[in-house]
Amino acid sequence: MHGISYYDLRHVTGEITHIEIDNAVVESAGTSLFNKAILRVLVRSGWGILQIDNYTPCSGTKFDELLGRAARLAGLTEEHVVLGDAPRGMLAVPQLKENPRDVSIEEKSALLADIENSANKPQIVNRRASYIERIETVRFSDSSGNEYSYEMNRSGFNILAVASRNGNVQMGYEREHSINGFNLRHQQESGTKAADIAVALLDATLAKGGKMRAVLDPELAGVFAHEAVGHASEGDLIQEGNSVLNGKTGERIGNETLTIVDDPGIHEFGFDPVDAEGVAVARTEIIRRGVINAFLHSRESLAAVGNGVAGHARAMPGEPPLVRMSNTFIESGDSTTEEIFAECKNGIFLKGSRGGQVDPGRGIFQFNAEYGYLVENGECTKMVRDVSLSGEILTTLHGIILCGNDRQMSPGYCGKGGQSVPVSDGAPHILLNDAVVGGSGVD
Amino acid sequence: MRWWVAVAWIEQLIREGEKAVDEVEVYFVEGTSVSADLKRKKLSLATISQDCGLGIRTIHKGRIGSSSTNDPGRWQECLAAAVASGKLATPQEWDGLPGTAPLDMAPLSFDASMVIEPDSAKKLLEPMLEGATKHTAEVTSGSATLSSMEVTLANSHGVRYTDRNTSVSVSLEAIHGQSTGYEFDQAWSVNRIDPATVGERATFFAHESADGKDIPTGEYDVLLSPLAYAELLGNVFVPALNGRNVHAGRSRLANALSERVADPMISMYDDPLLPGADGSVRWDAEGSPTRRIDFIRDGILCAFAYDLKTASRYGKKSTASAVRGGFGGSPAIGHHNFVVDGKRETVDDDRVVYVHNVVGAHTANPMSGEFSVELSNAFWVENGEFQEPIRSAMLSGNVFDLHHAITGLSHKSRAIGSLILPSVKINKQRIIGK
Repeated sequence: MHGISYYDLRHVTGEITHIEIDNAVVESAGTSLFNKAILRVLVRSGWGILQIDNYTPCSGTKFDELLGRAARLAGLTEEHVVLGDAPRGMLAVPQLKENPRDVSIEEKSALLADIENSANKPQIVNRRASYIERIETVRFSDSSGNEYSYEMNRSGFNILAVASRNGNVQMGYEREHSINGFNLRHQQESGTKAADIAVALLDATLAKGGKMRAVLDPELAGVFAHEAVGHASEGDLIQEGNSVLNGKTGERIGNETLTIVDDPGIHEFGFDPVDAEGVAVARTEIIRRGVINAFLHSRESLAAVGNGVAGHARAMPGEPPLVRMSNTFIESGDSTTEEIFAECKNGIFLKGSRGGQVDPGRGIFQFNAEYGYLVENGECTKMVRDVSLSGEILTTLHGIILCGNDRQMSPGYCGKGGQSVPVSDGAPHILLNDAVVGGSGVD
Repeated sequence: MRWWVAVAWIEQLIREGEKAVDEVEVYFVEGTSVSADLKRKKLSLATISQDCGLGIRTIHKGRIGSSSTNDPGRWQECLAAAVASGKLATPQEWDGLPGTAPLDMAPLSFDASMVIEPDSAKKLLEPMLEGATKHTAEVTSGSATLSSMEVTLANSHGVRYTDRNTSVSVSLEAIHGQSTGYEFDQAWSVNRIDPATVGERATFFAHESADGKDIPTGEYDVLLSPLAYAELLGNVFVPALNGRNVHAGRSRLANALSERVADPMISMYDDPLLPGADGSVRWDAEGSPTRRIDFIRDGILCAFAYDLKTASRYGKKSTASAVRGGFGGSPAIGHHNFVVDGKRETVDDDRVVYVHNVVGAHTANPMSGEFSVELSNAFWVENGEFQEPIRSAMLSGNVFDLHHAITGLSHKSRAIGSLILPSVKINKQRIIGK
């Protein structure tokens, strides 16, 4: 029909519940509904894509009409997209420990208020807590007869505490998101921690920029893996010629202790039971023992580039699948945290993440810590604030000289091409040699 | 015709809602957008997107409820969800939704001749690719998008407004060796964008930034392009002018009204009625008639931005600053056409570090203003000419403090999203070399 060589349809319906409490005031709380679909078509061509809000599943003439519209779009394209073969199959979605649906919004609101109130401490001028819960039903089908459907439930909260003294304004921020069910219970310590950090930062000094040894905590080292390696290994960027890792498979980029993995199949916040084009998800070792090993792929980028694994296509509801990371991490090594600090001797310890960004073509990345401490003689001393790190993908990874044995994952969201998807990043504590630290402090 | 069809169910929604609550507000958006995307130099993806969104707010005894859906057929459920949501909200002072105002309803950023067809998007790619051939660099990706949207706002005080707007944008990314370049353009009318120049600039920056030299750590006079300045201003300074952040204690400018917060040459204002600007509107996302707000006049902080909710709570008047994110989102404080202005002069005569873009501005500390970002497409500039490129370095500083160190604004301004900015010259900024 219409000369179509391939199509797929991804239809997502769901509801979003949110609560926001700002200085003990329930600012907003409630539920919204959505229904979005995307139809992609190839006619031995590039993609013709229809994004449809409020889609009603249909068949026969009606569906044929949609295919015809998408096929006409495909007819405008100039590229002949080839899809690589990839294994099919869907993982089970993990059982929820407690289903958020079984908890009333009044109770959720009261629990969130407890967290918000636990940040109510001297010198804290503002506390803001948010709860967000997304329940999505995903239905996928394609012209090869593959069909999958599943329900995903993601929920979590964040708490921001702002401390102020004589015009000095600082913040502490904690968050927790989960695919394993309702997670608002017994979380007051998150509020306390956010408040304590904000207050402590009032007395922290500005970091002084320059080259030094840095110890990164598991959360920040995870962001480092995500920004420095993950994005540049995305097959669509490789295909466009917009990654410094293009053509570098098999080359050494770091030392033997360094293995970096993306795995959508593990039960962390970036979990997908099946990818957005119906391909089975799989663990991909991007860097194995310091050597560039495999890229993250969609079926299209796999066919165009090779050297990697499909199953990494992800999409927001109603949006086209892009090659994306899911759960990205540096594997544990065998150093203890004590050994890492002893080896660092003098430098800086960086904790937490305010996010990061990368220019994969240029191979330059930047990311920011929430706070840090100076390391003097292997001991953490003075607290520092507003400190970031930048580096070059092809050289900085050689600077990872020790990997700890204490990997932890942290949930978050990652933006690309206007789409934001849930991810997790993680690592053990790592020691980075010759880190380029940015900060506006001076002697 | 469509308006009357829309009104039928919206009128019914308002009548239904008034049975349960004091006030009801309906915001309904319908739009179509088309795009054509390049992979390297080939058109590899053509898209038509049909979007719609319904946002309902209910207010009852100071309790504000809200809900949204992109399925208007489910308005009854959405209304029920909004009413339920209001029951959870903490009651607040509330001065009421606005009534009707005698506004001119002619749209301000609407090009009736724009054809929202994939072919029109494809046609924009051709001059852009042609422009890109001016310099030696490979195109990696690019895009052209056209869209049209109709917005309807109705409330239980008789407001029945509609507005239409169009937008067009093009962008191109290029690489030369390991040097990347990016450029874009946006406007409400196809005649107001220049795809050929976008292509030319993208490959220019990719080509000219190659073989950059290191720069030693130190203090330098810096010229931020509108793009680089927008990153710092938008992530840190603009949120500090948001009335809600001000009253919640999340703004460093909270206690600075009538004080000097920038060099006396600097003024900042939101002008929603600026002719030709992309964000121009006659009424904001809650139906308040828009007007110019002067935030900073000659370096002195004069005003903050308010929507109805924040204004009512703190005894202020709305500055008609409500905007909605996406389709059917709740109103929040924002701006329409945010302008940085002041005396213009030539800013690139003396030798200065020109920064075209920065990487990582969203990681700045929005409370304190501290930032350190990686430079993108940085050059030494002198006598108005690009001299040697700078390979890689970080710029560190404080967004609030640097506004006191501004020493010049360029003659030309440029729209970056809803910010309209000149290039700004800032003395003695800290650069950390590699």
